[in-house]
Amino acid sequence: MNPTFHAPISRRTALRGLGVTLTLPLLEAMMPRSVHAAPSTYKPLPNSGTKPTPRAIFCYVSNGVNILEWVPEAKGKGYKLSPTLETLKDHQEQFSVLTGLGHPRCTGGHSGGDTWLTGADLKAVPGKDYTNTISVDQAIAEKIGMKTRFPSIEIGDQSGTGAALHSHTLAFDRNGTPLPAENSPQRLFERLFVPDNAASREATLKRYAEKRSILDDVLGEAKSLEKKLGRADQNKLGEYLNSVRETELRVQRQVEWVDVPKPKVDATGLQLNSKPNDGHDRPMWLDVMLELSYLAFVTDTTRVITFEWAREAGGLGVGGENHHELSHHGGDPGMLKKLAAVDRGYLERLSRFMTFLKSTGEGGRPMLDHTMIVYGSGMNSGPRGEHSPKNLPLIVAGGGAYGFKHGQHIAHDPDKHPPLANVLLTVAQKMGAETEKFSDATGAMSELV
Amino acid sequence: MFVFISCPIVRSMGLAALISVTGSAANDGAGFSRIVQPFIKENCTACHGAEKQKGKLRLDTLKADFSDPLVVEKWKEVVNSVNGHEMPPEEEKQPSAEAAARFVEWLEEELATAEIAKRSTRVVLRRMNRAEYDNTIRDLVGVDFRPSERFPEDPPAGGFDNIGQALSISPMQVELYYAAARQILDRALVEGAQPEPIKWRFEPEENTLGSDRYRVKMGKNNIILNDGKNPTVNGFTVIHHESWDKGVGFRDFKVPAEGEYVVRFRAAGRVPDRAAVVSSARAILGKRRDEELAKNPKGAKYADEAFARGVEHFSTHRMYDYGPPRVTVTQHLDGTPREIAEIDIDAPESAAGIYEVRAFFTTAKAGLEFDYAYDIPKVLENFWMQGKDEFARPELLIDWIELEGPMHPVWPPASHTRLLFDSPNKTKDEKVYSREVVSRFMTRAYRRPVQVAEVDAKMALFDKVRAEKPSFVEAIKVPLTAVLASPHFLYLVEPEAPQAVPRKLNAHELASRLSYFLWSSMPDEALSKLAASGELAKPSVLRAQVDRMLADPRSNAFVKNFAGQWLGLRKVGSNPPSKTLYPEYDRHLEISIVRETEGFFAEILRSGLDARNLIKSDFVTINERLARFYGIPGVKGDAIRKVPAPPESHRGGLVTQASIHSITSNGTRTSPVVRGTWVLKTLLGTDPGLPVANVGEIQSKVPGIDKATVRQRLAIHREAASCARCHDKIDPLGLALENFNAAGEWREQEGHGYNGRIEKNDPRIDASAKMPDGTEFVGVEGLQTQLLKKEDLFLTALASQLTTYALGRELGFSDRPAVRGFVEQMKREKYTLRSLIAAIVTSDSFTTK
Repeated sequence: MNPTFHAPISRRTALRGLGVTLTLPLLEAMMPRSVHAAPSTYKPLPNSGTKPTPRAIFCYVSNGVNILEWVPEAKGKGYKLSPTLETLKDHQEQFSVLTGLGHPRCTGGHSGGDTWLTGADLKAVPGKDYTNTISVDQAIAEKIGMKTRFPSIEIGDQSGTGAALHSHTLAFDRNGTPLPAENSPQRLFERLFVPDNAASREATLKRYAEKRSILDDVLGEAKSLEKKLGRADQNKLGEYLNSVRETELRVQRQVEWVDVPKPKVDATGLQLNSKPNDGHDRPMWLDVMLELSYLAFVTDTTRVITFEWAREAGGLGVGGENHHELSHHGGDPGMLKKLAAVDRGYLERLSRFMTFLKSTGEGGRPMLDHTMIVYGSGMNSGPRGEHSPKNLPLIVAGGGAYGFKHGQHIAHDPDKHPPLANVLLTVAQKMGAETEKFSDATGAMSELV
Repeated sequence: MFVFISCPIVRSMGLAALISVTGSAANDGAGFSRIVQPFIKENCTACHGAEKQKGKLRLDTLKADFSDPLVVEKWKEVVNSVNGHEMPPEEEKQPSAEAAARFVEWLEEELATAEIAKRSTRVVLRRMNRAEYDNTIRDLVGVDFRPSERFPEDPPAGGFDNIGQALSISPMQVELYYAAARQILDRALVEGAQPEPIKWRFEPEENTLGSDRYRVKMGKNNIILNDGKNPTVNGFTVIHHESWDKGVGFRDFKVPAEGEYVVRFRAAGRVPDRAAVVSSARAILGKRRDEELAKNPKGAKYADEAFARGVEHFSTHRMYDYGPPRVTVTQHLDGTPREIAEIDIDAPESAAGIYEVRAFFTTAKAGLEFDYAYDIPKVLENFWMQGKDEFARPELLIDWIELEGPMHPVWPPASHTRLLFDSPNKTKDEKVYSREVVSRFMTRAYRRPVQVAEVDAKMALFDKVRAEKPSFVEAIKVPLTAVLASPHFLYLVEPEAPQAVPRKLNAHELASRLSYFLWSSMPDEALSKLAASGELAKPSVLRAQVDRMLADPRSNAFVKNFAGQWLGLRKVGSNPPSKTLYPEYDRHLEISIVRETEGFFAEILRSGLDARNLIKSDFVTINERLARFYGIPGVKGDAIRKVPAPPESHRGGLVTQASIHSITSNGTRTSPVVRGTWVLKTLLGTDPGLPVANVGEIQSKVPGIDKATVRQRLAIHREAASCARCHDKIDPLGLALENFNAAGEWREQEGHGYNGRIEKNDPRIDASAKMPDGTEFVGVEGLQTQLLKKEDLFLTALASQLTTYALGRELGFSDRPAVRGFVEQMKREKYTLRSLIAAIVTSDSFTTK
């Protein structure tokens, strides 16, 4: 099938699509902004293609929220939604808002993205500038990732790993190495759903065998090179060695998946040309990435997704706002208002995603009941714009089939609260990663399950 | 792993004069007992002393040992909380702003010093970044198609994305390197007979059925030919303005063979002169006036005035000094559109020109589209008439379009014979020949002679697959793929000497450092030969190579990658000036402002000009689009060229260039803070640090002032002492540039009218600046004079950045004498960039590992 558009495309659509892969030398590094993505017309499926399966998606918004309009006044069940959370009123019984939580060991602020899913003390190793630890999605993927073609998927608005403290990804492996995120809907779509090629089974297996012997060869080269290098160079080459070994394992996985074709997906309505760093395209880009997440879940292509909606201390909100600048509001009412508008715009995207999951059935229940959504930020832009690691904005939604109790405002004292890792541990356990330990968690969140 | 983006090395290199705040808090060691301890005693020990240790923090015994990371962490926390007014708590007695500033500054300087001291000064094993990978493949294999497009972005450190320590690698990248290697070799090597070329010509006006209804047979294809909703004149399709239904082109075809094709078209432009513009506008305005009058005869006076104002606008505004029309050519391939050219059509109607663009086609479904792309800023006076056919504007005339290819001047193509060259053994002995091929490819890919055992390993791969592969070509791809996935190819490998002291690089390693510095690519044959003979080690030979390499077009990569990152040009367009407020800022301008600054740097580099021209020059490097924007007459054509800068243009030097103005603005207004920071960081090598927590953005409205300028709003922000401490040294540098708006246009007043237009009584720009040490200056010229007085700071900043880029590592303390030496040598040799580069590449830092 055609991976992008269904022909014939109208000229108008084609014009809008311009600029995805511009590569004329003269214009390098400059995307034409004159043509933009259109709103998505993608429709969810009536039924999921798989049997009931737990999944998790972690959605990160940068720069915190306008906390004044976020935190509901009343606590417990049946609370009255805050002005911002009013955006999710259609789903009030499918989510809970948790306030007062934070990672005790993290400095938060604009480094909050690096630690949101790890809870790590980045300065834990004396003499080293930065050391992160495994993120919860990877802890889950280690346990259940082999069940799907992709153990996990990483999405972000910037590509790659980014710089320390302003990570472009939420995912860190067991060594604390960041896993690069994808920001192109087109590339993600191709990776997930476009067949590698139409070769026969025999030919495919031969291809894999060939790849393994090449990887073996370069691994051997790297090992003998290692002996000739100084310490610092050895550390660098170590990254290469690990990556080649990991790639060999992946080839092994591919061999195991060789008889399972990639799922066929109808791309009608998907705005695969949406650009993440374009004010106009922002909502379309968020929608299409959530649609691809939805499709990855529906087809059981992966069960774990991290999605950094915008890089910390950056991002263009939902319509080109200078989100970071707004987070330094200093209590200015006008800026707080704009900040709340971004927060609501984001929640509209989330609400749409939840509606998708609700309208798709799976084993007699809405798919949302089998999908755990963790949504929040690693920094809190306080009443005066202070960038605090405490009282982080946090929503947990879905997962009803695994005992998640929703419709509540779970409020804790920002100065005395269970670690946020408890929430992450809870999700990990419900995902089937049988573990009692994650980061600095002290146990599951009893109020939540 | 990624590493820190940290501040440049010169932070504490004695920057006193221009930027010193409190006179001098010279760090003479005694500062701790003179400044820090009394402050702690006065303000902190009540809660963090011998008796109480709130938050388990005790400060009276905290040592001044900045080499201990744990101690450093605590001091950082102290600095942040004092800076952010978190400590002392609100209800306690507050220190004076001066005392707090002295305290914080002393600590910040110590912390910065300690951080730099800790940094290693050894070059670390460096992976090629994306640009280097693409260029290397181009030079190694001879295919040029940006295979790295799918690789993740490379993380920057110290301002550049070629820093070994920061360039990490993940399994995903290994996958991508592997896939790219296969794709590269599939493109480079061919089998069988040369594919039959096609040459199709289309005459758009043949479409008499309208839009998508007309088809033309070409080979097996039944192609939709579209001339858009455009009139035909003398066989030319005439496109008057941009509109979705005015594109011209053909689609719904598949080329018979994959490869590079030429898209050729005959076209011309009509460019109305000013008189024609005024007369057409007069007619349109007159018609409107008459209609108004018919509806409301009493409004004659108003209608006449509006008419006169309109005519005045079209008679005077420089946007109507039109350049030639522009066209964008878009290739659609397998559903994905890709812009392959945007060019001026400068041939007149009387002598239409033939234009060519090259594009790679696969055999997937394809299309080509030509769109009008000349922007006239959309303003109140003209937005409603821009699409009227009777309005005089540049018109694009297209006669015919050809598609020809695949282009193979020789068969097999050069990329094929470069890898599979002629040899006596080629047909005689496959085993011997394959070894020749692999060995030669490895030598070039590894950028050094290779050992027998290394070749053996690759040959084992070949032998393993040869029997099952249908051809020699398919089999040889396997070892060649392994070469392209090898660490010896992907990294610049420089094995360490057994003893841990720096050693001289061998000549091949040196050749690679040099070529990746100046070309962002592998050494060419000439350089490799000099490496093999050992000649390259001679400083005179090195210097001669610098000259040769800078003269080679491959050094454009240096201009693009170094200047692009040093100056921040890669940020152009990421937060562009708002279209409503700055209608002149269009795509053509955006492309041009980047080319201007790159061209400016290149001119100073290649013509051996004094590097202080970067601060202030009596010339500009512009094209016609920029000339129109800057109000400089007499420049025709799209090529960037050097022209004298008229004094009244206020241009000449980096700080006068629109690229810099737009990246230091926030889309809706100028940002003197960002501009000041840019000047400090980029031109003076000083990092003013990040804003403290808790500070607000500047207010958009100021109570009591009707039209508050950015300057006034900033002044209010600065009233807070915690802000003033830094902003007093940052803001004046930016305020001096207030005559340039957020798009880089010169202005005398700050517009407060509709859509930011300047009204008669709007405030005049105040570009005066006063530094904390009392130095006063006015405007961009004043700033340039001050910067020239600080030439040592500027040259040191430049040299530090260039050295960082050249070595691929961040600089540490111990690099400072070397950097100073580079500056001295440069000064002795007429201040040229070339002499600075020569000083760097012949230095110990560059020639040792």
